[in-house]
Amino acid sequence: MLAHPPSPDDAFTGAAGRRDNEPGPSYFEQPLLKRPHWGWNVITYLFLGGIMGGTGLITMLAGRSSIPADRRLSRTAKFASLALAAINPPLLISHLGRPERFLNMLRIVKFKSPMSLGVWGLVLYSGAAGGNVLYELAEMRVAPRWLRIFAPPVLEPLQALLGAFTAGYTGVLISATAIPLWAKGKRHIPALSVCSGLAGACALNTILAIVSGNDEPVERLERLEAVAALAELTLLADFRRHAGALGKPMFEGKRGRRLRDFTAIGGIAIPLLLNVMGAVLPMPKSLRNARSVAASALTLLGGYVLRETFIEAGKTSAGDPHAAFRQPE
Amino acid sequence: MANGFFTDTTLCIGCKACEVACKQWNELPSDGLAFTGMSYDNTLRLSGTTWRHVAFVEDREVGTTIVNRWSMMSDVCKHCTHAGCMEACPTGAIIRNEFGDVYIQPDVCNGCGYCVPSCPFGVVDLIEPFKPSAAKAAEYNTATLDRERLSEGALQSHGGIAGKCTLCYDRQRLGFTPACAKACPTESIQFGNVDDLKARARKRVERLRERGVDAQLYGVDETTSVGDLNAFFLLTQPPEHYNLPARPVLPSTHQPAGYAAAALAAAALAVAGLAIFRGR
Ligand code: SF4
Ligand code: SF4
Repeated sequence: MLAHPPSPDDAFTGAAGRRDNEPGPSYFEQPLLKRPHWGWNVITYLFLGGIMGGTGLITMLAGRSSIPADRRLSRTAKFASLALAAINPPLLISHLGRPERFLNMLRIVKFKSPMSLGVWGLVLYSGAAGGNVLYELAEMRVAPRWLRIFAPPVLEPLQALLGAFTAGYTGVLISATAIPLWAKGKRHIPALSVCSGLAGACALNTILAIVSGNDEPVERLERLEAVAALAELTLLADFRRHAGALGKPMFEGKRGRRLRDFTAIGGIAIPLLLNVMGAVLPMPKSLRNARSVAASALTLLGGYVLRETFIEAGKTSAGDPHAAFRQPE
Repeated sequence: MANGFFTDTTLCIGCKACEVACKQWNELPSDGLAFTGMSYDNTLRLSGTTWRHVAFVEDREVGTTIVNRWSMMSDVCKHCTHAGCMEACPTGAIIRNEFGDVYIQPDVCNGCGYCVPSCPFGVVDLIEPFKPSAAKAAEYNTATLDRERLSEGALQSHGGIAGKCTLCYDRQRLGFTPACAKACPTESIQFGNVDDLKARARKRVERLRERGVDAQLYGVDETTSVGDLNAFFLLTQPPEHYNLPARPVLPSTHQPAGYAAAALAAAALAVAGLAIFRGR
């Protein structure tokens, strides 16, 4: 079946018989590039992988702090990292055309391929997170004491470093393609992935901290989240300016409105406002916590919509031959 | 030394013998048949199971002058000097074989789909996974039982992997010319050593220019990051008319800027985080 049924207008006019409003020659307006095949599972992976990476950074920041409540936060973050590291492989495997061949990813290390590096990053991250969790289990006297050889001063920074990589490489992965919108975002998309990943991680850990009754560090998490979210908003605005006409599939129309409502306003501006309110207005603890949870949920939703917009707008961008003829250098 | 194709569009008569020969030899299923109204092109594009595609550029300039030009071009994977698909492939399924061609090992590819957006020419695509009916599978198995090479074929793996022109790797190993070049009745598709083909192509361009034909080579002496193409073309119109990008870009060239931007963002946020979590 033809994916792009022709219109009667196209018939017999040929490549040069174009109307005035067409931006240049093309082959019957047929797409040059193939659409990426990635769907919900890859979008969810980009989202959760970013949060997992950001959580790695929180593990170190809170773990190296001298405040006991922060160290409790670090412990929660370690368990959360390992849980996320366990959810991601099934998502990645399910998107393959031949899932049973997933392990072929591990037959080589390829520095030219962000996907290859990313899989190895994921493996190493899982190892670091696992080591950190074993240490905590030993501290909690659930596991043998010798497991404390997984010393946090080494493993926490390691997990943070690998976390930064896993949060950022997904952005490099999609922008190192021929898709015009993605290629145009070769700096913006990786930086956005890191910022959004950390903001999402702060949001998730805020919820976990409140649920586990350790709400003292929430105020610091919210300040870090505000920094990350502000950077994200700035980058988004700058990407819109930088991408110009190539940014159309992402910033205009239905998808553009969705990005604005759920990510820019709902996922960044409103949580920021709620955080500032929490910092300056006196309010009872339960209300303060409810506000934090609401802001965090909105941040997470915004992060998902950002990833969804990247992928879906990329598919639209691939279908535009004129954009693809002028491939961004 | 690499083997490749020289596709001379001035000789193509649009018979589609190459498309058919490719489907036959490689046992590629039909992608469906539909009338498009776009000249005689009902194929429209290369796909995971269509490895030659004859484009029909039928011009009718309505205005003071009516020019009636009709050119055809048999499109194919370019077997790039610097191949985006090969660099992107995380499993190492895509290799450069002993004939200098870009080849997907069908028993290694796991269908991750990363090569698809990484080809600046939009060539490679995933083949839909499919399950033949029991009767079809039996018929299929008896038909192919004695043919060793088919253990590698796309069909044997029942799809779910990436597909594109192999430059008839199997035929080359047997010393045969690739199916499309063999079948082409006008020698619009020529197969051979790329350097020899280039020399021949340059002479052909000279001769055509003497006759007043605006001929140019596409994929020879390129200054793009993709470099020269092992399957190159002689065109008489701008590349976009044939759905070819004028200046393809190798996607991996975006990586240094991307990693740097990500590292910068991560470092800045880490500094902010350190200030927030130990700032007392
Ligand atoms: S044309 Fe595309 S599929 Fe063919 S070798 Fe070049 S990058 Fe790979
Ligand atoms: S789909 Fe197959 S050939 Fe393409 S990049 Fe993935 S593993 Fe490599």
